[in-house]
Amino acid sequence: MRIVVDRDKCTGLGMCEAEAPDLFEVQDDGSLKVLNEQPGDGQREEAEAAVMSCPTEALTLVED
Amino acid sequence: MTVATEFIPATSEDKPAHSPIDVSSKAFWAQTSEQRDQRFAQLRAQDPVSWQRPVEDAVAPDPHDPGYWAVVKHADIVKVSRDSKTYISGQGVLFDLLPPEFLEMSQSFLAMDAPKHDYLRKLISSAFTPRRIQRIDEQIKVAAREVVDGFAGNPAGEIEFASECAQKLPVRLFCDMFGVPDELREQTARCAADIVSWADSEALAGRTPAQIQLGAAETLHGIAARLIADRRANPADDLFTNLVQAEVDGQHLTDAEIGAFFVLLSVAGTDTTKHTSSLTVKAMTDFPEQRDWLRADYDGRIKTALEEFVRFASPVMTFRRTAVVETELGGKRIIPGDKVVLFYPSGNRDADVFADPECFDLSRDPNPHLGFGGGGTHFCLGNQLAKGALRALFSELLTRLPDFEAGEPDLLGTNFMRGVKRLPFRFTPER
Repeated sequence: MRIVVDRDKCTGLGMCEAEAPDLFEVQDDGSLKVLNEQPGDGQREEAEAAVMSCPTEALTLVED
Repeated sequence: MTVATEFIPATSEDKPAHSPIDVSSKAFWAQTSEQRDQRFAQLRAQDPVSWQRPVEDAVAPDPHDPGYWAVVKHADIVKVSRDSKTYISGQGVLFDLLPPEFLEMSQSFLAMDAPKHDYLRKLISSAFTPRRIQRIDEQIKVAAREVVDGFAGNPAGEIEFASECAQKLPVRLFCDMFGVPDELREQTARCAADIVSWADSEALAGRTPAQIQLGAAETLHGIAARLIADRRANPADDLFTNLVQAEVDGQHLTDAEIGAFFVLLSVAGTDTTKHTSSLTVKAMTDFPEQRDWLRADYDGRIKTALEEFVRFASPVMTFRRTAVVETELGGKRIIPGDKVVLFYPSGNRDADVFADPECFDLSRDPNPHLGFGGGGTHFCLGNQLAKGALRALFSELLTRLPDFEAGEPDLLGTNFMRGVKRLPFRFTPER
């Protein structure tokens, strides 16, 4: 499982960070840093919640 | 990236007759939210994207305005909100028609599109992320405690909640973040409240809507000018300093741009949370079992409950977009120049999404309400701050004054904000 960010859509609001603080962190310049791009199955639930929470639909989970 | 540079006028071409289920009249907006929802429910069932006559009694009427599409279903509001390439904000975002000079002074990036919107918003957005708001959580808690300290021991056991409690916390948090000094805070709060009161006869007190809005916007620009001068000389760790130091394409923002930014955020950052907390103490009075449910495990339940506070209150009632490409919505053909108005309280009572939508149900989960907007690039920047403030305030109220009772709210006459002017609030005083 891999997290993909569409940088054109992301506005740096950080709703993902609220759902999954171990996976996402908005930087001081407003850009989004993915702390772990390939989370394990143990983090699937929070990764999915983060994707769902994004109001600009900037996040997707890709199954490799 | 394409940017619409030319204004696309609205046209009455190919439009149906104006809907008989009218949501443009002054009388409609003078009703309570519960009364209005009966008509919205009719539209949701019969004509979810209806062609409406122009808003009645506009502040700055436009004789060429053919009307607008009223969007009342949850799914359609989300669709429009998330498609900012089809539905832009740069041709205005308010339902009412207001004087252009006021809009210029007050809307900032709210009424812009990419890329300028994104750039301006990012100047401050990192201060509002969940992590950053959590970092000031202690500060929020102290502020909430001190606001409640201000009246909890009042021997009369009664206050006017909107001014003595609801407004105080968000104003303090907003002013702390922007670095507004103590002596200017009351004036800032009053002007922010005036800005949304343009259609309320009591607030107008003999002035015209344009006078009250321009007066308030000019005063806020004056406050901003003082802060700009001060932060240029003495940079500080606050958002005002960010704005003064920011550069767009190698240019600093102008004083007028910073002023408009300040007006937008002073309204967005204070008024919405004020009305939400007022409407929530009223809801907790009307649904006492919900208050008991929350009190039984406040820390475990408040995260879910907060979403219902916002859904139930729905303080922001309308925003507008303008279509710039031909599209289809709810079976209707939308063409460039068409105004599209989003009615958020209607989406928040849509039974296709919310079971028993008229019930205040703090355990509602999931709760995909539209209280912070329908998503997309204009989604409420301050949502985490608002939730932090509400969480801290209700923790104080439910612990210290658990038997509080709210009376009937005196509502603001407006088609923009579901505002509470006054709300009687009784409680057993703290000893």
